[in-house]
Formats: sequence, structure tokens, C-alpha cells
Amino acid sequence: MHIPDGILPISVNAGGYAATAAVTWYSIRKIKQKENPREGIPKASLLTAAFFVVSWIHIPVPPTSVHLVLNGLLGALLGYYAFPAILIGLFFQAVMFGHGGLTTLGINAVIMGLPAILAYYIFRLRKLGGKDSPKKDGAFGFLAGAVAIGISVAIFVGILVTNLPTDFISAEVERAAIYTLAIAHLPLLGIEGTITSLLVVFLRRVRPGILDGV
Amino acid sequence: MNLGLDEYINLDSPFHRWEARYKLIGLITLIFAFSFVRDLRMLLAMVSVTVAIYVISRLPASFVLRRLRFPSFFLLALVLTLPFLSGQTVVLSIGPLDVHREGLLAVLLIAIRFISILTIALVLFATTPLLTTIKAMRALGLPSIMADMALLALRYIQEIGQDLKKIQTSMRLRGFRKRRLSLYGLRTLAWLGGSILVHSYERSEWVYKAMILRGYGHAPHPRAEFQSCHRDVVTLGIFLLIAAGFITGDILFGHGVSALLQ
Amino acid sequence: MTDKESDITLLAGGRVESALSVSGLCFSYPDRPNVLNNITLNVMPGERVGLIGPNGAGKTTFFLSLCGVLEPSAGEIVLLGKPVVNGDFRPDVALVFQNPDDQLFCPSVWDDVAFGPQNTGLSKDEVEKRVREALATVEGTELAERPVHHLSEGEKRIISVAGVLAMHPRLIIYDEPGANLDIRSRRRLIHLLQGSTETILVASHDLELILEVCNRVVLMDGGGIVADGDPHTIMGNAELMEAHGQEKPHSLLPHQVPHQYFCHPTIARNV
Repeated sequence: MHIPDGILPISVNAGGYAATAAVTWYSIRKIKQKENPREGIPKASLLTAAFFVVSWIHIPVPPTSVHLVLNGLLGALLGYYAFPAILIGLFFQAVMFGHGGLTTLGINAVIMGLPAILAYYIFRLRKLGGKDSPKKDGAFGFLAGAVAIGISVAIFVGILVTNLPTDFISAEVERAAIYTLAIAHLPLLGIEGTITSLLVVFLRRVRPGILDGV
Repeated sequence: MNLGLDEYINLDSPFHRWEARYKLIGLITLIFAFSFVRDLRMLLAMVSVTVAIYVISRLPASFVLRRLRFPSFFLLALVLTLPFLSGQTVVLSIGPLDVHREGLLAVLLIAIRFISILTIALVLFATTPLLTTIKAMRALGLPSIMADMALLALRYIQEIGQDLKKIQTSMRLRGFRKRRLSLYGLRTLAWLGGSILVHSYERSEWVYKAMILRGYGHAPHPRAEFQSCHRDVVTLGIFLLIAAGFITGDILFGHGVSALLQ
Repeated sequence: MTDKESDITLLAGGRVESALSVSGLCFSYPDRPNVLNNITLNVMPGERVGLIGPNGAGKTTFFLSLCGVLEPSAGEIVLLGKPVVNGDFRPDVALVFQNPDDQLFCPSVWDDVAFGPQNTGLSKDEVEKRVREALATVEGTELAERPVHHLSEGEKRIISVAGVLAMHPRLIIYDEPGANLDIRSRRRLIHLLQGSTETILVASHDLELILEVCNRVVLMDGGGIVADGDPHTIMGNAELMEAHGQEKPHSLLPHQVPHQYFCHPTIARNV
């Protein structure tokens, strides 16, 4: 889901950086409005590191294996800390592994980070309706995970396909490319949703406080 | 756990000696200048500058080759699809598939830009400790919340990575094998990930206590003092000129400002 | 009036002010009541108090209360003449955590040792001086530029001590300082503790370490203090120790062949 360097034109990269700067500024403002913003910083930082490490876990998806993104869960747990956290995580990935890119840091943060914030709001909806149960939390976890990755895929495919250095040979081919890429990522929605759901249920059992956010 | 970055920070080269803030500005500007380039004739200049920079940095060739391994899959996917799917001029036909000139050239452009940017980025980040780079970013205006989070995360990535390895080893020793996709397997992996998250969350509560016990937030934290000299400024000037050269050259070679708008 | 050398404050009338005075301290967690149950303790300046007791006795909770991190449900704590207020920053009291990784949160050794002094508003030169002195005291000067995650367990331990020493505390609390150390690092730690001039509280399961370092022992169990006094008297009482999940330390057991000791001369050998 990361777009590497070298593909996108500078206009898109610059736009990505501008959007990221704006969302980061807004996130930091929301963080500073909290009662004790400093208390959240170690929590958010260590969870950032933890998500970074957890994304290294291979999930077998025959014939290959995938690495999870888990931006939905990250958003659910970190709230407005999620966007800076994702930006930092992407920066480390680019710097330590060459995964993703530097010129595309802004656009990748938008791809991963905006859906994470949305996931935070989706996950909060589980408080509505009164009844509190592991199944309900698990269901909202699935929703948050799947929706976040779904939107990420949509933005990713959209930006990539419309900004390649050449035009497709026909509009049909372009559409086909979009559909193929999107469909290829569909199983990912199911897996991320499922794993997010399982994680939420685990966390609820072991350390419910973590689900109430940083 | 070796994250591979600190290996070569103790070498000696002009890049190792270049002060972190100036190096950040200079090389990031060059990277963006590279991403601006669309003209194929500029690619030769790009490759030459990149190779020269890498050689001067004294980083070994094996380092950059190792770095290129993983991201190459994405490139490979583009190489295998773009020439067939995009472009107007057919140069070759392989069975029912046509290979287009524009697609091939696009792939060339992407590949060279990508490899050049990755190489320059490697010189930027592998010649200074990452924590110094983050402090330099803070000195250049990165919000302190971001810098604090980045430094804390950096500190604990290693530990948490080791925790992951230990738990994975214990799982393997008790017979867990990731072969097929199954709900049991997914649940086990979720428990693995969940344990890591909970350990980290609980550790963060202790870290917060340790921080406030030593006065976190009590006094404004002093910015790291960077000492620069004339050579740092001059080197920055040179790199800004090179970057400007690429941008100007690309515009002059015919794409003009419309290149900005794709 | 404070005598810097011996860190003893004389009150009017020539009485010595205690370093730590706890009365009626109680603390409960939401899911665990009476983790601390009516604790009363008085520690004089310069004393080296060992805190022993089984896991769950409340030692760590007690320490966090002393530092103002946890707010007690009842009781009063007066530290170095000033009442402890929850949330206040008291650089004169320091806590060395059980797990150095919880405490060493800066990427490099230098940064971590400098963290405390920087937060007390000292000048850059003062901070540098403090860091160099602290590292020299723990014999860790050569580790200054190292990333923390490259340190061994023993090195992390001494750097975590340096980080608190740099704040020039008058009272230092050590929570299980000997855990996970190899023999050499443990001996280094014991020398360090024996050489300290501050008032210290040391919680440890390593009873031999307590014997070598402390001149007073407090036995805690079930959230309260069950014994307080001379280390040999308390730790030599097998019945008392076993009743509270402890054992008589090996060196206090009767031996046919006496051990040779090469440590603190004031600790009597009577085996």
C-alpha cells in the first residue's frame, strides 16, 4: 500500500505533503487540547513501535504471505495520535528498509493515516446502543479494520493509476487495471478485518483499558 | 536485532562529516529535484551524480544492492505490466501482447528515478545516526511532539522486535507452524500481535512514570546544539545548485512548466 | 541548617530531621484493596534500609507512593522535611526501576543521563558536568556515546543508576537492582551501593546483597511492615523469615567451615 519513490509526479507528492502537514497540524492541536497530552506520548510512541514490529508478522495467504497494515486498529487505539504515529512509522520504514518512499511520505501518510482517523470514529460507535459484549466489540473491530484498509486501497489505486508517467492504451484498459488491482486487494480486507477483530477481542480480555484509547 | 542503518555511521567521508541539518536540506532538495525530472536525457546526469555521491560516501556497494532487493518487487510488477498496458507506439509484439515504446520509457524513467532517490536517501540516513537526524529535524522546525514520539519509538523498536522474536521462537518450539490459512492460525497470530501490543502498552506506563520522575515537562527541553562550519554551508550551496540544475535542465529540455501539472 | 557532607539537617534544639517519615500510609488499587495497609516508617539520613518480602507485599507500590506517583488513600509522607504532593517533581528523591528498559527511554546513554539534569533547568555546562560525574561514579564513561539498546543487562543497570545520580538526589530508592545481573555486574553494583553517601532504600530478593549493603532491614508482607531492625537479627530468625515467604540467607546458616569475606568490614561474620 506504499507508493515508492520515482513514480508519481512532483505535483502529487507536493500535494501529499501539504495534506499531511495540514492533518498533522490539526492532530497535534487536538492532542494539545487533551487534559494531559504528555501522558499520551509514551503510550502512543510505544504503540507506534509495537505496530511497526507487529507489521513484520507474516500472515500466510496462499500462495504467498502478506504483512498486515492494521491502520484500522491503530486508529481505534490511538485516536488523533494515529496520524503522527503513522507518519513516523512510514518514515522509519522508508529509512530503515527502503520500503515506501521519501518523496511519497506525504501521500503514503494520507493513504494510511486518514482512514485510521476514520476507523477511530467507527470504533467509537460501539459504545452506542448500550449493550456491551465481546461480539459487539469484535464486530466493530472487523468494521474498523476492513473499512480502513478498504479506503486505503481505494486511494492507493486511484492515485497510482491516474498518475503514471504514461497514458494507458485505452480507457478500458485503465478501468481494467483499476478493477484488477482493487479485486486483488479484496482478500486483504477480509484478513485485516478478521485479524483486527481477533485482536480487539484479545485486548478486551487481557487489557480492556487499551481499547479506550490513549 | 540489526535494523541495518547504524552499520556504517563510523566511516569517514565528506558526507559523514557534513553537519546533519545542512545534509538534510541539501540531500532532500536533491531528492525532490530528481522526482521532478521527466526528460530521459537528464537520466544520464542523474545516474552520474548519484553514483558520484555514493562513491564519495564510502558506503559499500553491497549495502545499496541489499536495499534494492525488497522494493524491487514493486518495480518488477511495473516492468511486467506498463509496457503492455500503456503507450501509443508499438515496438514489439509478443503473441497477442504489444510492447509499447512509451511504456518502456516510462518504466526506464521510474526505475532510474527510484534507484537514484533510494541511493541518495541511503547516503543521507546511513552516514549519521538516526537519532541525530531526528534531532536535526527538530532543530529545523519539526514539532517537538513528533520528535519526542519518533525518538521514543526508535528507542523501543529494537526491544519490541526482540520480544517478538522470543515469543515466535517459543511458539515454534511448541509446534506452531504457519502453513495454511486457518482461523486457528489467524487467532494464534492475533494473540502474538496482541501480546506485543499489551507488553508495549504496559511498558509505556512505566516509561511515563520514569519520565515524570525525572522531570519531564518541567523545563523546556534544550534543542541539541549543532556546530556548523563554512564547509557545511558551502556544500549545501553546491547541492542546491545541482538540484536547481536538474530542475532547470528538465524545463529547458522541453517539458516546461506543464511538467509540473503532468 | 544542612550539613552537606553528612546530609543531616539539624532542627532547632539539635534534633536530627528524618530523611523519610511515613505515617499510616494506605493504598488500594481498584481491583486490589489494601495493597498498603497502615505503613509507618521513619528513616534517618545516611541510613541504608533493605526492604525484603515476598512478591505482592507492596514494595513497588510503596516506592511509587513515596515518589508522589501514586496518591495514597490515607496517611502522610514527609520526604526530606517536605510533605510529598502527588504530581510534584522532587529531584531530591530518585527511584531506580526494577527493569532498566522501563527507565532508559532515550536513544543514547548520554541523552538519558542528561535528561534529569536538563529538566532541573541547569545550564548546558552544568548538565555536561553532571553527566560526566555520574558516568564516572558508575564506571560507565566509555558507554557515553552508545545507543541504549546496545548495552548489556549489567550496563543498562549502571546507566539507569547514573541517570538518577546525575540529579544529585538525597534519597535513592532501588527496586530490585540486582535482578538479571551476572556475578561481575552484581559485585559492581554492590560496590556502588556500599560507596553511596545518600540515604538509600533497597528492595531485593537477593538477601546476601542486603546483608552486604544495608544497616537496617524492613520485612514487608501483605501490605504491612512485620519487622524492622538489625539485618542479622531479622534475617537470622528462620521462623520469622519462613513465615513471610523468605529464607534465612546462606551466610547466616551455621557452617562447619567458615566463609572468607572481602567486603564491608563493619558487617560481622559469625558463622
